[in-house]
Amino acid sequence: MSVYITGTGKISVQPSDASDSNPHLFETRYARCFDPVFSDYINPMEARRMSTIIKRAIVSTQMALTEAGIGIPGAVITGTGLGCIEDTEKFLTSMINDNEKFLKPTFFIHSTHNTISSQIAIRLKCNGYNNTFVHRGISFELALQDAMLLLKQKKVHSALVGGHDEMTPAYFGLLDRIGYWKKETVPSSSLHTSTSAGSVAGEGSTSFILSDEKSHTAYAIITDVSTFYNGDGTSHPSEKIEAFLNLNGLKPADISLVMTGVNGDVNDNRVYYEVIDKLFKNNMAGWYKHLSLEYFTSPAFGLLASAECLKTGQVPAHMMLKGSYNGKLKHVLLYNHFKNRNHSMVLLSSC
Amino acid sequence: MQEKVVVTGLGIISAIGFSTAETVKSLLSCVSGVGRISYLDTIHTEIPCAEVQMSDDELRKSLLISREEIITRTSLLGIAAVKEAMQYASFVPDRKLRIGLISGTTVGGMEKSEAYYNDFISSDKHKEYIDAHDCGACTEKIADYFKCFAYVSTISTACSSAANAIILGSELIKDDKLDVVIAGGTECLTKFHLNGFKTLMILDSRPCRPFDDSRAGLNLGEGAGFLVLESESVAKKRKAEVICTVSGYGNACDAFHQTASSPEGKGAVLAITEALGMASLAPGQIGYINAHGTGTGNNDMSEAQALVTVFGDKLPPFSSTKPFTGHTTSAAGGIESVISILALRHGFIPANLNFETPMKYLPVVPLTTTRSSVPLKHVLTNSFGFGGNNSTIIFSRQ
Repeated sequence: MSVYITGTGKISVQPSDASDSNPHLFETRYARCFDPVFSDYINPMEARRMSTIIKRAIVSTQMALTEAGIGIPGAVITGTGLGCIEDTEKFLTSMINDNEKFLKPTFFIHSTHNTISSQIAIRLKCNGYNNTFVHRGISFELALQDAMLLLKQKKVHSALVGGHDEMTPAYFGLLDRIGYWKKETVPSSSLHTSTSAGSVAGEGSTSFILSDEKSHTAYAIITDVSTFYNGDGTSHPSEKIEAFLNLNGLKPADISLVMTGVNGDVNDNRVYYEVIDKLFKNNMAGWYKHLSLEYFTSPAFGLLASAECLKTGQVPAHMMLKGSYNGKLKHVLLYNHFKNRNHSMVLLSSC
Repeated sequence: MQEKVVVTGLGIISAIGFSTAETVKSLLSCVSGVGRISYLDTIHTEIPCAEVQMSDDELRKSLLISREEIITRTSLLGIAAVKEAMQYASFVPDRKLRIGLISGTTVGGMEKSEAYYNDFISSDKHKEYIDAHDCGACTEKIADYFKCFAYVSTISTACSSAANAIILGSELIKDDKLDVVIAGGTECLTKFHLNGFKTLMILDSRPCRPFDDSRAGLNLGEGAGFLVLESESVAKKRKAEVICTVSGYGNACDAFHQTASSPEGKGAVLAITEALGMASLAPGQIGYINAHGTGTGNNDMSEAQALVTVFGDKLPPFSSTKPFTGHTTSAAGGIESVISILALRHGFIPANLNFETPMKYLPVVPLTTTRSSVPLKHVLTNSFGFGGNNSTIIFSRQ
């Protein structure tokens, strides 16, 4: 049985008029999303009570459902590194500053990580399977893996999987304090050759409909998803990736494009370049974080970029790290790691 | 043919004990852990809570973790429970096995963030705790203590987080992705949760009384509960003693309201029914139900309705053990799975403390004193979270 991506939706730091051939590039340390006009999708009365991340998640969900032609998915699964951090910060700061007095429930109610999945379910009246993964840089891939398990066991026929994170100014500042971000501004188009530590902060909301049935809107087949933990730094990513490919009956040479999570942090980039050097010397390699910038669920943006490459049969020149495009894409490996601790692999094929 | 998932180890730490043995003792002797707040630094000390009776320093000492180590209470509690679960299962990590850790949590490192937040914003003081704030970081701290996990994952579905961690662990074993999974949840008491639940006006000023007509809310608790799950063949190979099987589970969404359950308990009915179906059990075969039973007006009414819908007049003995442990939120599904399995293993049914008067509109009566010497074959535990995240798990003796 195959699992297809049949619908997608995205709100990102890319403006809506940016295209694959003409993307918006940055020279900044931190960028926020270009939000759509929410009232086009959500009743303004309802929208008023929703935090930004909920609005974004609802809109990107709606885009994906509409494209896939699905009303109610069989499951709603969310990956989010920080959940509804804006409302969490609001409740936290008023609790601290007013010494646990005069608090209102609204921000607390919306602070829990599962608010995204449950608000979507309430809106869609979806009583099906519902889950939320909150594990740093692999939150989205864990959600994707969960959906694959459900679909392969035929517990559901379709699943909504989303990767949602917001980067509030306060959290940007906190992560800045511990070295997540570059201290200088560099053009995002040159992050792949950066020699300094830190990445560039972004945010985004990306949704997918996975289905066990191929439709005319299908982008690609998701064959397998896997993650591994390298907490003590003794694992060799290349070995794990090769084993993952072997498990799926493939060799590194079979991969037309390895879509990496190169993010501009010299220490992170090094891991990707080592993998390319060891396994994919003669393959095409790509990247996407010059477009999405970096946040916990940025691999969701990478999955969409990879799926679009497979759907259109094109790899935009600015996404190429190395190699040349021979006009044929069969298997794409999306590979990401978070500080060389959490690694994820998603195997995609053309359909 | 899919592999059977078996439970070979249990680990628990809560207000009623630091181990499975202490927990059984408290449950059998009906000793509650709910009391006055003595560890959490809050102005609301009048609100009854169920704290683990150890300071962070004492927890560190008992786990041989130095005072300098960057670690939060959520992780410390998790380590204590995971450690016991591995010892219980006589599990010695083997490089050849694919071992996973799946933890459910919501507050994560909030206990340190709420203490240090103004420092985080204004200076470098305590900045090393910034990266310990998120839920995933708390799970990794547990993983790093044991150094044997090739797979880590964190689930946050509010008060059903740990139940969903156990369900996912079982699925990953069945799908042959992992051989052994330590799954459950951990959560420490925080000002964030205490104040949050207080604003919702669902904290009882007295010890909680689930399913009682006079119930007036929940008591918050803290702790951790983890299970060692493995495939039957791996357990056999390493000659591990099998305690029970994970015979069924269900996950559904009430899709009704962010903080309230539907009056008919729709999501709960779906989750329980799915679990029974997967286990191929008729409702009458369940020997004990460990209810979610928080003690709030809304949850208990909705859950009771769901139980009556599914079990009709064959409602088995049931209880909420939250009057013992408090509501341990994201850890509840782990703590209550451990309690349910201990009941199955040792043949007792824990009491629903503080129950006196049946609810007027739906007079279901839980077990009010712990009953011992009860042979049990199948036990069912419910975990329901805000946002309508409803999960049910059934454990069966082989």
